[in-house]
Amino acid sequence: MTGRALARIAAAVVAVLLSAGAAADAGAADPAETARILRHGPWPMPWRPDPGNRLSGDAAAAALGRALFADPRLSADGSVACATCHRPDLHWTDGRPRSAGLAAGDRNAPSLVDVRRWRWFGWDGASDSLWAASLRPVLDPREMGGSIAALAGLVRGDPVLAGLYRQALGRAPLADDTALAVDAAKALAAFQETLASGRSPFDRFRDGLAAGDADAVSAYPADARRGLALFVGRGNCSVCHLGPAFTSGEFEDVGVGYFLERGRVDPGRADGIARLKASPFNRLGPWGDGGGADAAATRHVASQPRDFGLFKVPSLRNVARTAPYMHHGRLATLEAVVRHYSEVDEERLHPGRARLVRPLRLSEGEAADLVAFLRSLTSDER
Amino acid sequence: MGAAPRNLLAGLLLVATPAGPGSAGELPIVDAHIHYSADAWEMLPPEDAVRLLREAGIRRAFVSSSSDDGTQKLLAAAPDLIVPVLRPYRRRGELSTWMHDPAIVAHLEDRLARFRYAGMGEFHVYGGDADLPVVRRMVELARGHGLFLHAHSDAAAVERLFAQDPDARILWAHSGFDGPGNVRTMLERHPRLWCDLAFRSDHAPGGRLDPEWRALLEDFPDRFMLGTDTFAPERWHSVGRHAAWSRGWLAELAPPLAERIAWRNAEALAGAAGAGR
Ligand code: HEC
Ligand code: HEC
Ligand SMILES: [Zn+2]
Repeated sequence: MTGRALARIAAAVVAVLLSAGAAADAGAADPAETARILRHGPWPMPWRPDPGNRLSGDAAAAALGRALFADPRLSADGSVACATCHRPDLHWTDGRPRSAGLAAGDRNAPSLVDVRRWRWFGWDGASDSLWAASLRPVLDPREMGGSIAALAGLVRGDPVLAGLYRQALGRAPLADDTALAVDAAKALAAFQETLASGRSPFDRFRDGLAAGDADAVSAYPADARRGLALFVGRGNCSVCHLGPAFTSGEFEDVGVGYFLERGRVDPGRADGIARLKASPFNRLGPWGDGGGADAAATRHVASQPRDFGLFKVPSLRNVARTAPYMHHGRLATLEAVVRHYSEVDEERLHPGRARLVRPLRLSEGEAADLVAFLRSLTSDER
Repeated sequence: MGAAPRNLLAGLLLVATPAGPGSAGELPIVDAHIHYSADAWEMLPPEDAVRLLREAGIRRAFVSSSSDDGTQKLLAAAPDLIVPVLRPYRRRGELSTWMHDPAIVAHLEDRLARFRYAGMGEFHVYGGDADLPVVRRMVELARGHGLFLHAHSDAAAVERLFAQDPDARILWAHSGFDGPGNVRTMLERHPRLWCDLAFRSDHAPGGRLDPEWRALLEDFPDRFMLGTDTFAPERWHSVGRHAAWSRGWLAELAPPLAERIAWRNAEALAGAAGAGR
């Protein structure tokens, strides 16, 4: 953090302490805690288009992407669209523990809201751009079972899609299948970039705290406020669920287990890195628009023994809308997630020096408070 | 009951075949840091576990489990493969409380009376806790039975364990997650200290040996060994990858040193236990 940012936070803390005695009771506690709370905002944060996608941020491309997203013809038998598993009415998830496309899958479908902000995509980070992550399900035989050629053929042959393509790219659909499929994936990305979460009760509290606005601070429910104290304090949650998006964007082990069945596990990040490195559509490959300048992270990431069984830290914004939880969807409710963190088996977490996750042994009241806090991350508008 | 298992253990250490069970020319490995705890038994029955070890070219595995029944199940399934190590935990979840629980001593005495082991551990103890009565008693028991100690500890606790029994042989789990400088200091100070490299990769970031670690491995060729650490049962499915990853960086070393780290050092440590003191 910069000195100026620290000074700003310190000023905000002082402002709170001076201006709002009542707020201090209802909201602020010690300055260190306040500083930790303030780091979870402001929201929304600024966002820059993806240098690896020349259609990023483009409204005409988003229109093409929107059409493709809802189109089941992207799948081999015409039965599965992106929207089958990322349903707008279910906060862009499918509400199932594990998704099923053409065949049953092993993982839970994450929400696509705020997806433009991530560096790695998928629970294992097998993709390093939103557009590459949008091509992956088309080609995955268990999800849509499509192909590069079929996707290109669809865009070329369908008058509506071809027209949207022409509007977005200012030219007729390309003859080269891969180039055209990559354009389609980039348009899918441009559409998903428009899915952004709004402000939540937590954000109003947090900004009130920053501004010394006693009314905004006291409007925040007391149980959520106590849960927030746990979240940034004893719970240690913000070590991983950090910053305004409530995620480090990296990969961790919280001890939820990753057996799929006897003889089969989900290796998580360990395979994600291998798949990322092997993909022709990663940022080091010829299909991105960043010229490699945007590929430092991809170049440097290397698989280590500890990556086995790590999964991406999910954002917690709107988490109340995205049940069930975890990469395999085995925890049905937020109450179950909090119980997990309360009772987690310490022995099955890696024995490194920093034990970030420990059994918290929460009382019933504390567990309810933590859930109330998580619910306060729900945006007002849909 | 007592004599047969002892002979078994001594016997299996003698019949070691130099080529190992892996594919031709593949460097055999002793995995010195394996757990087969209760939550592994259902999804990974003993025959599956043994198959994963053999497929990975593991010629021997030091196994300790919560509870010890897991170790006994594996030993029964593959006596040639399993080097049993007695963990002072009766079940999962005792790793931060066991040193305060006198019942652990009775548990250890009971197991020692019924089964044979090469070592005692892997246990977790840090700093001054190493001098608690339960830990002291465990060290005495290990001494009495000629067992090495597999300690997941900081350097301070290792010092205290050696103070209790200067003749102890200690296998320092994860090399204490300490840096190469401190590990070197400890190895210089304690000739009966061995180190496993489980669950760390700073010695070979990106699969290539780090120069400072390389010098350490070369200066102490008899003291290091490998381990996967299956602290979560799913990690059994990473034993093969870990072996392959280890063979990758071992290949940078002179073959005699690579062999020592891959299996000879661990074999020697286990063998000394079988022979008593
Ligand atoms: C069969 C159900 C299914 C379909 C169809 C599907 N997805 Fe997904 N989506 C998932 C699952 C499951 C994941 C998690 C995948 C993983 O971890 O490997 C996912 C992950 C993603 C991600 C990464 C999100 C993140 O936060 O990391 C993006 C982006 C995405 N899907 C976009 C799409 C697009 C675009 C389509 C259509 C081309 C699509 N999905 C079709 C189930 C589906
Ligand atoms: C070590 C980093 C870490 C810490 C600390 C941590 N989490 Fe998580 N959290 C994760 C990861 C990684 C996942 C996904 C795990 C998986 O799917 O296997 C996750 C998942 C979740 C989910 C499910 C979200 C979803 O969309 O499925 C919730 C809710 C959650 N955490 C809340 C918390 C709370 C509350 C705390 C504090 C008590 C906490 N986390 C502490 C890393 C962490
Ligand atoms: Zn261990």
